[in-house]
Amino acid sequence: MTDQLPPEQPPFDEAEYRRRQRSRANLMGWLLGGLALLFFFITIARLVGPK
Amino acid sequence: MAQSLTHGEPALPADWRDLFALTKPRVMSLVVFTALCGLLAAPGSVHPVLAFSSILAIALGAGASGALNQWYEAGLDAKMKRTAGRPLPAGRLDPQTALQFGVGLAAFSLFLMLFASNWQATLLLAGSIVFYVFVYTMWLKPRTPQNIVIGGAAGAFPPLIGWVAATGSIAPLPVLLFLLIFLWTPPHFWALALFVRSDYAAAGIPMMPVVAGETSTRRQILFYALIMAAGAIAPWPLGYTGALYGWTAVVMSAVFVLLSIQVGIRTTGEGDTMQPEKRLFAYSIAYLFILFGAVVADHWYPL
Repeated sequence: MTDQLPPEQPPFDEAEYRRRQRSRANLMGWLLGGLALLFFFITIARLVGPK
Repeated sequence: MAQSLTHGEPALPADWRDLFALTKPRVMSLVVFTALCGLLAAPGSVHPVLAFSSILAIALGAGASGALNQWYEAGLDAKMKRTAGRPLPAGRLDPQTALQFGVGLAAFSLFLMLFASNWQATLLLAGSIVFYVFVYTMWLKPRTPQNIVIGGAAGAFPPLIGWVAATGSIAPLPVLLFLLIFLWTPPHFWALALFVRSDYAAAGIPMMPVVAGETSTRRQILFYALIMAAGAIAPWPLGYTGALYGWTAVVMSAVFVLLSIQVGIRTTGEGDTMQPEKRLFAYSIAYLFILFGAVVADHWYPL
């Protein structure tokens, strides 16, 4: 028989799942922190700076 | 509707690197640079924080356009060697995530622009995203070989947006810079299309070399290069820039036209390595960077 079996799904990798979740959560945290700072500085710049 | 993919839903959450790749970072670098030049060449001064935020908003808007373009073209990308490794056709990202990411990023970029700058720049940014996604990606690209010519307007917006973010109004110089990118786009993309022609043919995209043939494309590259050169030099005799930009534009455009002549008059045989086309494509990128750098240099250090 030359029929090929359908390709099997790779086994679920929980460690990789956790790593990606952690990596995205970390990134999201930094981004939100950065944006909070950016919006704070924009507000200050609009209040006091030349435009 | 997005092209459906044959891959199953990925079990793992999307990696941030794939989301970043969705924004077409290399294209974004040119967008950011030309927008920054538009902003820096504008009269008056902008608070550095507001300038940074405006450029960030333009970059995010460009990233959103890239993401929505890749979402819509995932099926086509899978057929082309050059794009098959992108996150969506490679199955590393599901279309729903890409769509949500693109729409979210577009909305945020507009909000940031409105908050940091003015409504005029926000309107232009919204127009550029809508034009790129709906007019270029969904309407023109799959239908006409003139896709690049008209669609070039989408990539020409950044210096105009940068200028308007700084001043709140449109002036002749940023319109000429818009025109420069608009006229630069056909020779730039058709040089690329000549050496990845088989890719476009496989995906059924009606790029000029696929529809009109190589000879016609080469002539049109030369034709557009000549008009572009005139458009690039125009700000100098019209009095909107000084000699520093003028001479840079003359020399750089002369080289561009020479490289285009090389491409325009040659014929290729089997197994041709397409070196003149690759050279023109690489030079065209440097050309735009240098010319826009010269606009800023000319504004700050006039001869």
